[in-house]
Amino acid sequence: MMRGMIGVFHELDSTVDTIEELKHKGLGKLTAYSPTPRHELEHAIDPPPSGVRKFTLFGALAGVTFGYWLSIWGSMYWPLVVGGKAIATWLPYTVFGFEVMVMVGALSTVFGMFFLAGIPRLTDTVGYDPRFSHGHFGVWCECAPDKLAEVEAVMRRHGAVEVRGER
Amino acid sequence: MATLVQPADEPRRPNIASADIQLPAVTSYEQVDNEILSILKPTKAWFGGLLIALACLGLGIFSWGYQIHQGLGVAGYNPPVMWGVYIITFVFWVGIGHAGTLISAILYLFRAGFRTTIYRAAEAMTVFAVMTAGLFPIIHIGRPWKFFWLIPYPNWRLLWPNFKSPLVWDVFAITTYLTISTTFLFVGLIPDIAVLRDRETNPIRKKLLGFLSFGWRNSEREWRHFARAYLFLAAFSTPLVLSVHSVVSFDFAMGIVPGWHTTIFPPYFVAGAIFSGFAMVWTIIIPMRRWFGLKHYVTLNHLDASAKMVLFTSLVVGCAYIVEFFIAWYGGIPYEQDYFWNRVFGQWWWAAWIMLTCNMILPLSLFSQKLRRNPAWLFILSIFINIGMWFERFVIVVPSLSHDVNPWQWSSYVPTWVDYGLLIGSFGWFFMWFLLFVKQLPIMALAEIKEIVPPKMKKAHSHHGGH
Repeated sequence: MMRGMIGVFHELDSTVDTIEELKHKGLGKLTAYSPTPRHELEHAIDPPPSGVRKFTLFGALAGVTFGYWLSIWGSMYWPLVVGGKAIATWLPYTVFGFEVMVMVGALSTVFGMFFLAGIPRLTDTVGYDPRFSHGHFGVWCECAPDKLAEVEAVMRRHGAVEVRGER
Repeated sequence: MATLVQPADEPRRPNIASADIQLPAVTSYEQVDNEILSILKPTKAWFGGLLIALACLGLGIFSWGYQIHQGLGVAGYNPPVMWGVYIITFVFWVGIGHAGTLISAILYLFRAGFRTTIYRAAEAMTVFAVMTAGLFPIIHIGRPWKFFWLIPYPNWRLLWPNFKSPLVWDVFAITTYLTISTTFLFVGLIPDIAVLRDRETNPIRKKLLGFLSFGWRNSEREWRHFARAYLFLAAFSTPLVLSVHSVVSFDFAMGIVPGWHTTIFPPYFVAGAIFSGFAMVWTIIIPMRRWFGLKHYVTLNHLDASAKMVLFTSLVVGCAYIVEFFIAWYGGIPYEQDYFWNRVFGQWWWAAWIMLTCNMILPLSLFSQKLRRNPAWLFILSIFINIGMWFERFVIVVPSLSHDVNPWQWSSYVPTWVDYGLLIGSFGWFFMWFLLFVKQLPIMALAEIKEIVPPKMKKAHSHHGGH
């Protein structure tokens, strides 16, 4: 079961300082919240690069292959024979290759984003506060019960407007 | 007329660097939410607008019903002019749909700051415009219940999809464009729907918004993958914008018809689409910024920067018009020469001059900074451009078909009330969706506007300053 301490902050630099100290002390697993993407928080958390690009590449390759295959296979299976013209030809079929590449690549990118970001999330509200979408920043520290007091102290020292335990 | 006097908090900037447009009157994240979400409340004027849109839509539905009952003969088609108002209107709405993805994708990749406050409205406009455009091939085929025969899937009805036909390319291009622009709009909306969810007090609406936001929580992990996905979506959408209207232009350019069979059509169509799309963005955004009190979000600097874009695309379109005439003369083909003469000085002079005046001459006014910063003029100009761009498609479709390479079949074309009814109906359909959108979801991207608002800091000169 998840258990930890959540801190709500007004200021961005206070949030960053809190994350840096909690991380330095190794007090638990950290999640930062902000109403808008902030690179300061990303630097403080220092996560690995997003893996969305792999989904994009896979989707785009699958799409372009399917687009060319569909048009070539369709032409060969239902041939429209015109004298002197190839039944299947790559140049006009590039339109299909391109369009299907964009369609599958983009949808695969969105799927990758959902998968990696852990959404859709329909029930889990632990470690979240509605103020994080409005104007406040937040830090959720998932930690062992004996570390809760220390995490709370760090958050309060850096100016958290509210600190509470959740499970 | 709107005043040219600058608001006190908005210094006049003679040279607007499009990548550096800030919002000096917006100082906190909370202000962004409060002001933009306050416009979600319906007003009497909004109900009035919706009623007008529904009335126009009703006329369109009636006209379509009448056409289905009586047959396609009630439209103004007259052989050999078998493409008329429906195809013109199809190309018009596809063109309108181009500005949204241009603003949201291409200008995003180019880091053009002026897009931030207008791109959501433009994206929604794109989706609704493509939805409108998609109706017209169905209306045009006369037997709309067989529309799925347009889709080139293998079947046993002896319908052989010709993968070398631009009409089949079109089906793929438009379907992809509608799917991707809808995806782009919805992905961008997820964090903003989460804002609505967190402020909602009605439990049913809260649950619905929670479902639509996919449980978005604004965590660093979500933002990181979101930003990466958004970048790739923009990268996919950028060539898509250019490809879609290129493919639409192939519908014409692949035909051996005077005025159509020309290699400049793809760039000419793409520039025209962006031009008309921006004009429609102005038609929508300028009244909105006034009625909803959003002048400090869509500032004169934003309008100035977008006016430069309109001016540039107008010059490209104007250049394409001139090149068409030049090629007709230089090519030495009598049918082409006669066709272009007929277009401007003969049978269709009035349509061609409406096009040239609205698209080429009036936008030259945007060389004046005073006019670029005058919202009233920009709104009036946008109406002229919308009219001019509809007539551009009229001039491409009708004069070519009525004056092709066979003089014995030269003819004329007069739209009927059914054509006009469906044209008006298309505006009703488009604005109905747009008005419903405006009152259900944020018309400006809350999260992206917050990105350009400096965050609160404890230390005045912190090294963690806003970017």
